Amino acid sequence: MLELLVFLLCSSILASGILAVCLNNLMAAMVSAGLSSLFAAVCYVLLAAPDVAMAEASIGSGLSTVIFLYAIRRTSNAKE
Amino acid sequence: MADVLLFIAAVLIFFGIMLGVLRLILGRTVVDRVVAIDMLTIISISVIALYADVSGRFIYLDVALVYGVLSFLSVLAVARYLERGL
Repeated sequence: MLELLVFLLCSSILASGILAVCLNNLMAAMVSAGLSSLFAAVCYVLLAAPDVAMAEASIGSGLSTVIFLYAIRRTSNAKE
Repeated sequence: MADVLLFIAAVLIFFGIMLGVLRLILGRTVVDRVVAIDMLTIISISVIALYADVSGRFIYLDVALVYGVLSFLSVLAVARYLERGL
């Protein structure tokens, strides 16, 4: 039962990574990259590394999304 | 009895992740994808809590707690960006 869940999480990481590369809309690609980081943190917990998972959840999923948003905001045109 | 309940919870989590990822892949607008990632965050908190009970290591509940405190931040930032704020 747990192996099936790990398989689903890993395939979701793969799908969201491919989606983050292939999408044309910048916002959607950034959200997909955030999902990849989110499920990687869950996989770290399942691999018995809770401290790494805590760092990944706070930095990878929380902080990097905000920084990417700020970068998109500063580099795009006013009318998008 | 408890094993049956845990199995039902795992099956529900399985289908929840599958439907959420499907919405993320098929999603037409950005808002669909943001709502899907918000739902998947809550589902992953429940995955961590379920695994803490299955493995018997209750230190993992702290990870779920930190996750729940921090996870709304990215969705909040995206929502403010879509309203031309930030």
